[in-house]
Amino acid sequence: MRTSQTLRHLLGPLELIHEQAGPRLLRLARLGIFALWIVKLLLDPLWRLAEMPRELFQPVGILALLPAGAVDQFLTSNGLAALLFTTLGLLVLGLTNRAFPLVSTAAAACLTVYSCLIRSFGPAVHTDIVLLLAVYALAGFAWADWIALKFGGKKSVPGEWNSYPLITIVAMLTLSYCLVGLNRTVAGGIGVFTGDTMEAWAVDASLRGYYFNTNLGWHVPEWPAIVFMLRSGLPFITLFEITAPLCVASSHYRWIFLPVMLSFHLLSLVFMNIFFFDDMLLYLLLIDWSRRFPALRAARA
Amino acid sequence: MSARLPSRLHPAVVVAIIGFSVALIIWMVSFAVPFKLAGQAYLLIAILLAFRYWPPMVRWVASMPVAHRVIFGVLLGGMILGHYTLNGRTYFPFVVWEIFPFAHENDPVTCREFIATTADGNKVRLLVEQLFPSIVQINPLDSYSPETTEHLARALAKIYNEHHADNPVRQVDLFVMAVKLHPPANESRAQPSCELLKRYDISSGR
Repeated sequence: MRTSQTLRHLLGPLELIHEQAGPRLLRLARLGIFALWIVKLLLDPLWRLAEMPRELFQPVGILALLPAGAVDQFLTSNGLAALLFTTLGLLVLGLTNRAFPLVSTAAAACLTVYSCLIRSFGPAVHTDIVLLLAVYALAGFAWADWIALKFGGKKSVPGEWNSYPLITIVAMLTLSYCLVGLNRTVAGGIGVFTGDTMEAWAVDASLRGYYFNTNLGWHVPEWPAIVFMLRSGLPFITLFEITAPLCVASSHYRWIFLPVMLSFHLLSLVFMNIFFFDDMLLYLLLIDWSRRFPALRAARA
Repeated sequence: MSARLPSRLHPAVVVAIIGFSVALIIWMVSFAVPFKLAGQAYLLIAILLAFRYWPPMVRWVASMPVAHRVIFGVLLGGMILGHYTLNGRTYFPFVVWEIFPFAHENDPVTCREFIATTADGNKVRLLVEQLFPSIVQINPLDSYSPETTEHLARALAKIYNEHHADNPVRQVDLFVMAVKLHPPANESRAQPSCELLKRYDISSGR
């Protein structure tokens, strides 16, 4: 009994996040997600990929369906620049909220091609996948609103509909963590959590170097305190990953989850040069804004 | 003199029985489906069932018109199915989710990298992820053939030189770097140990 009371106290009141979200919050989320993609694309000289050796290109996702001739046309400076600027244009249009179902669907398609393309020269890494799925959710629910209004006989979008894409995005974000944790625990087994695994990953990532390079990770074996932190931290973080879906229901849990996972991501940057800054910004959706700010709440009939 | 049965089992006993039963079922089913998949599925089903019977979630899903429910189901279902394909490429963005999924047991840890020498004799590291920032991560260089590695070295030098025309790269060296996971006590180095594998002359244009 005492255990269940402690657990209940820890989890706090169980309420569905964003259940009261109104149109302003949904609009802000759309703006934030589209703006984040715009910033990412503005920082990306995509046309340079035309200089990459073609034998490194192993098509990912829908790019595998393209005939070889089309890939050759596509992987030119002009083809790549066209993709980049078309996608940027669609994302900017998406900010205006005009013809949102059409514009967001076209943006989602272009972003899918872009995301497949940048992974076709290496492993299919997880960065920005949830951000892409968030655009799918915004586009999909915009169409669902349109269909329900057109064939369901309603004259305007009811208040609770605004919560659908927001809760779905939070569910996808937390599900991605949960699947990572489950996979590591079950497929990786006990060996991942014992021995030199974390030091080896830190040294490997540090030696390889990515866009960010702190050049610290390969020193890890020389620092026993850091070795201890990494080794003891992995099972702890894995537990948080597996239980991430609790964020959908528990505000207390979210306030524990946020600093823990933010610290984890920052440490990954310091020691492994890996940074999921898209997920960091999606963490803003783990705050139930509409319960705090009445202006962001849906009007109830 | 009959012993009285306790009216309620102690919660710890109930938990132990449930745990044992679940372990038994997992063990039996794992003969048919690899545990890598089955074990994850059991845990995920447990999490999904918790939400399936949580009244606010039931109410919320029930309030959705059919079209919305389809979108919700397709997105989350796609993520779960994509994960169980154990494939990160074919069905992108519905992919297997794996980060640090296996024990890394190499000691020393080694890595190949390109170190370039510029016209004024300075050394610079050429990283694909920095010169081609679209690419988040590239495969380890030792996974490529010698020809591909050379093409990549020349592509990196070309992009570098486009942005440093005043001090271009003249030569690119392929090194293998190594770091011991169990260094001798109090050993501290300024750089990992490295060994030259190959030298590419960029100035010749070959």
